[in-house]
Amino acid sequence: MVTKTKGIGDLFKEIIDKGLCTVCGACVGDCPYVVFYRGKIRMLDFCNRTEGHCYEYCPRTFTDLDAISNKIHGTSYTGDEIGTVKEVLMARAGDSKTRAKAQYGGTVSALLSLALDNGVIDAAILSKNTDDKLPSGFVARSSAQVLEGAGSNYMAYPALEALNGMPRDSKDRLGIVVTPCQAIALAKMKVSPPSQRVSMENVRLSIGLFCTWALAYDRFFEFIKNNVSPAKIKKFDIPPPPANRFDFYIGKEVESFPLDGIRNYRMSTCAYCLDMTAEFTDISLGSVEGIEGWNTVIVRTQQGMDIVEEAKKKGVLEIKELPAQNLVHLKDAALIKKARAVQAIVERTGDKNDLMYLGISDNLKGKLLSHRVTAQGGH
Amino acid sequence: MPNIDMDAPGSNQLFIGNEAMARGALEAGIGFASAYPGTPSSEILGSLSEVAKKRDIYVEWSVNEKVAIEAGAAASFAGVRALVAMKMNGLNTVIDFLSTITLSGIGKKGIVVMVGDDPSAHSSSNETDSRPVSKWLDIPLVEPGDFQEAKDMMPFLYGISEEFGTISIMRSVTRIAHARGNIKLGEIPKIAHKARFEQYLDPAAPMPTPIMCVPSSFRHMFQHMRMDKVREKFESCSFNRYVGPDKPDLLIITAGSGWLYSQDAVNALKAENRIGILKLGTLWPLPEKLIKTHLSKADKVIFIEETDPFLEGVIMEYTAGFSPESKRNLFYGKHTRHLNSFGELTPDAVIKAITSVLDIKYAPRDAEYMKKVEAVPQGHVMDRLLTFCPGCPHRASFWAIKNALAMDGRNGFVTGDIGCYTMALGPAGFFQTRTHQCMGAGAGLANGFGQLSRFGFNQPVVSVVGDSTFYHSIIPALVNGVHNHSNFTLVILDNGATAMTGFQPHPGTELTAMGEPAAQISMENICRAIGARVEICDPFDLKDTTRTILDLVEQDQGARVAIMRRTCELVRQKKEKKPYKMQIDPDKCLGEDCGCNRLCTRVFRCPGLIWDAAAGKTRIDEVICTACGVCADICPEGAITKEAIA
Amino acid sequence: MKNLSKDPINLVVAGVGGQGNVMVSLVIGNALVHEGYFVTIGETYGSSQRGGSVMSHLKISAEKQFSPLIPEGQADVVLGMEPVETLRVLKSFGNQNVVTVVNPRPIHPVDFTGSGSGYPDIQSLLGQIKSMSARAYVVNATDEALKMGNAMLANMILIGALLKNSLIPLSEDALVPVIKDMFPKAVAANTKALKAGADLVSILN
Repeated sequence: MVTKTKGIGDLFKEIIDKGLCTVCGACVGDCPYVVFYRGKIRMLDFCNRTEGHCYEYCPRTFTDLDAISNKIHGTSYTGDEIGTVKEVLMARAGDSKTRAKAQYGGTVSALLSLALDNGVIDAAILSKNTDDKLPSGFVARSSAQVLEGAGSNYMAYPALEALNGMPRDSKDRLGIVVTPCQAIALAKMKVSPPSQRVSMENVRLSIGLFCTWALAYDRFFEFIKNNVSPAKIKKFDIPPPPANRFDFYIGKEVESFPLDGIRNYRMSTCAYCLDMTAEFTDISLGSVEGIEGWNTVIVRTQQGMDIVEEAKKKGVLEIKELPAQNLVHLKDAALIKKARAVQAIVERTGDKNDLMYLGISDNLKGKLLSHRVTAQGGH
Repeated sequence: MPNIDMDAPGSNQLFIGNEAMARGALEAGIGFASAYPGTPSSEILGSLSEVAKKRDIYVEWSVNEKVAIEAGAAASFAGVRALVAMKMNGLNTVIDFLSTITLSGIGKKGIVVMVGDDPSAHSSSNETDSRPVSKWLDIPLVEPGDFQEAKDMMPFLYGISEEFGTISIMRSVTRIAHARGNIKLGEIPKIAHKARFEQYLDPAAPMPTPIMCVPSSFRHMFQHMRMDKVREKFESCSFNRYVGPDKPDLLIITAGSGWLYSQDAVNALKAENRIGILKLGTLWPLPEKLIKTHLSKADKVIFIEETDPFLEGVIMEYTAGFSPESKRNLFYGKHTRHLNSFGELTPDAVIKAITSVLDIKYAPRDAEYMKKVEAVPQGHVMDRLLTFCPGCPHRASFWAIKNALAMDGRNGFVTGDIGCYTMALGPAGFFQTRTHQCMGAGAGLANGFGQLSRFGFNQPVVSVVGDSTFYHSIIPALVNGVHNHSNFTLVILDNGATAMTGFQPHPGTELTAMGEPAAQISMENICRAIGARVEICDPFDLKDTTRTILDLVEQDQGARVAIMRRTCELVRQKKEKKPYKMQIDPDKCLGEDCGCNRLCTRVFRCPGLIWDAAAGKTRIDEVICTACGVCADICPEGAITKEAIA
Repeated sequence: MKNLSKDPINLVVAGVGGQGNVMVSLVIGNALVHEGYFVTIGETYGSSQRGGSVMSHLKISAEKQFSPLIPEGQADVVLGMEPVETLRVLKSFGNQNVVTVVNPRPIHPVDFTGSGSGYPDIQSLLGQIKSMSARAYVVNATDEALKMGNAMLANMILIGALLKNSLIPLSEDALVPVIKDMFPKAVAANTKALKAGADLVSILN
């Protein structure tokens, strides 16, 4: 375990060249030495600084989980299955048009639109597919723009690049949609804010997306090119278990592929990820097993509570209680991800005391290591 | 540049050696001159081109040396004196033709090849010594020992060429060709050249008599007989002379720049009474009798010549045939390691060699001064690395290539070629160039790399060539690449001139060497006709250029071409004023606090940008900056601004 | 026949590629040849215009043609167009009797080590130049040339400084025809610069 902040050379040597990069985007967008291009972080020139934000904010360099948990939630990291929770519920957008465009229940779009309309935020950073199907971060300033960003294609993308690219003197209050690894990087930025970038104080609302793994653009794009016509794809979907399918919506047709085959295109770094439910956000959400068109929503902070309450009041969201069985399944899946990640890390380091990037208490380490993965779950 | 055809016989002028040779060629009455530029030979044709119209001679910058020498030979075949100039690398490319014209013989009028060698390879990719070619191919060769001789040897050499019917070579080195010295001018004859190719050697001949190298063996014998006659002529030539005592302690045998250095050394050592110098001007065939006479005067002999031990070798070989009772000399030189057979000859090297042979003490400055010399901190005389000129389009081109290859991420690399852009081997071009051989080799290598995918090779290959190089030797490589489906990207840096050697025109430019409108050969049309995809971009548009290169590189099949077109800054600034007012906003430049980590001065490194360590910010040196504006697009903070000057 | 107190006089012109080193040696050389001297000039080139260290060696003789290179430690006069280059030349060619004229305006090297250490302290450089010269003169040639509207005039200002102190056997008058020949469009500016050099040059303290 290494705690020292290092430079870009080390970031490549220890993380990127080792297949550990999540392409969260924390190192790009405000640095002339690194760019994100076609699914990869590339170094344009060598920067001889021995300390850099690129290394510091990377979610795969040393991460003090207590510190970020304290910053976001005001408590130490518990290691609980789905992290620090104020409330778990089930929701969908009140507006059927939003739902129709959305991946599941349209909750993300509905919440961001509300936050923009309410003036809680001035701009939202979310993802949008480019022509060659690669998602990239973009800044939405209206509900209409928010809807352009709806839908997922399950590929890893640098959401934080768009945040880093914001003008440093921007006064815009920001909402941002992040995956768990991006949420960790964002939390690291909040713990130790960058001096020459947009103020972290501006980030008022973070919405996390549940994630078991993401696809690596370069390899997955090859698959798409060889099997489906990229230009014609309208939507990507992984239906909740037990479907075990990956669906491409091409016009009104659906072309399905077995999910097991698609798993080959996973980012290798996802194997070491502890977090399925984007624990370090204000609100995080995903699909609901067995109930189509709804989102599981975990409200984690007061900001999260406020916006959800407001949404409920205004009818922007329809809200229901999450069935108890679903919560159990969700926690099971989240715990399995944690336990597998820790096992994979120890396998990689060959040392039970070396958990790579994970800065956690010995107590918690013991707890995670003792958990044996039995059931197959999640996608 | 002085006017080399000034009509002032007997006057003294300051000429560089190349101008002296050009003047000599005019005084010899040449009617035809052709060359491909190459340091240190370029000014010969350059200075002739300026007076060509006035003197009614034809002067041509040829597409390459091989065409130049063949064109020159045609003039000789048709009865017009011809001069062909090139650097030593060029000589290598014309060896094949030389090896046949020595057999076929020349026409009625003489032809001289002027070859400029570049010891220490100041501006070359090798430092070969051209002289051995004369022995290898049986060609008379002379070498001027000073500037006056550089001129005076020309008429002499045309005499040799015509008297013996053979092509002849004058070899010079950088310190003659590019150094300046006094020249006493002679007369330039007025000649009405008349060209006609005679089909019959003799009107009464029964059959046409072609100029041909067959039957080769017979003609080889004939050339050897000719060389024996030339040798006789050289024995009494005034370009060979001796200065010094009758019985010197040490005999220096020298030629070329060595003659001047030897005199300097003898002067510095005040050893005029102990050392004799035999200076040779005609090196091959060797004036053997003259040499034997002087060898008999001294026991110790040292050879002072640049670069190879040529005289040292042929003279020692010659003396090996002496009868046992003949005088035996002690020979010193490169074989005894008193001098190096690489690198430039210097007066200090000669002084050191002589002091070692004669055991003389020599200290040019006193001990107290040497202490001061040694006390100068290393950091006070930091190295100055060569780099592209401020405003050079190549810096921008390589910036784009670097970024494109980095984004592609497959360890792509550049195969280099010969021109200013050779500097991309180093920091000037961000170390992008990974191979460096001879003219055209980069594209040839790319052809080969581009066929290696069958063996697992998957790196993008980018061959970067200049515009002049493209016409000189790239076209066959591109033909080969397209024909054989080789996978590489050819980048042509089209700056509209042969910049490195002094902005000579080439087949793509508007004017001929004589300043007349040329038929411009479009490089894009050539490439397209060959069947390559061609993209054209302006390197100062970094974004578009990067995107273009990336797109070509990612195509990953076939030979494709990018032309990066932007006029050489040195050419532009002669015609136009600065295009922008460049400024750095000190409030926006964050200096060391910026995440850019001094990108502009540490990585981009234009000489016009200065890192002001005291202020902790970058500033512009207004004396150096040419206001190309590219750095404004490099600065991530937008601190560098360019404002168009109306 | 001309006579020189020392024959040959060895002059080194030191600068950075692009400064006009070759032009300086050409102006001086042409004038001297017209005055009847033998002049040999050797130039380090290849780096001209490209930011490298550049030197011209001039050997001035009343008797004969010398080689184009000056041996180590044998400069009589150093004309330094740039401080670091002046010191560099003194290190190799200076001696206890050398006289130096220096333009104190620095030309920063490109930072290829990435150290950003910048340029050495000018006063320290000038101190070393003075200590390594029998006599040293300074003239703010570039600053003056910029005032006159063209940085290249610094070269003529430096030549003016050289002439003022009789360091080479040339008078201002001898330069007039050379200036007319080489700079037909800028005779007045160059003549003015030549005089400015003579006026501005002072002993380096």
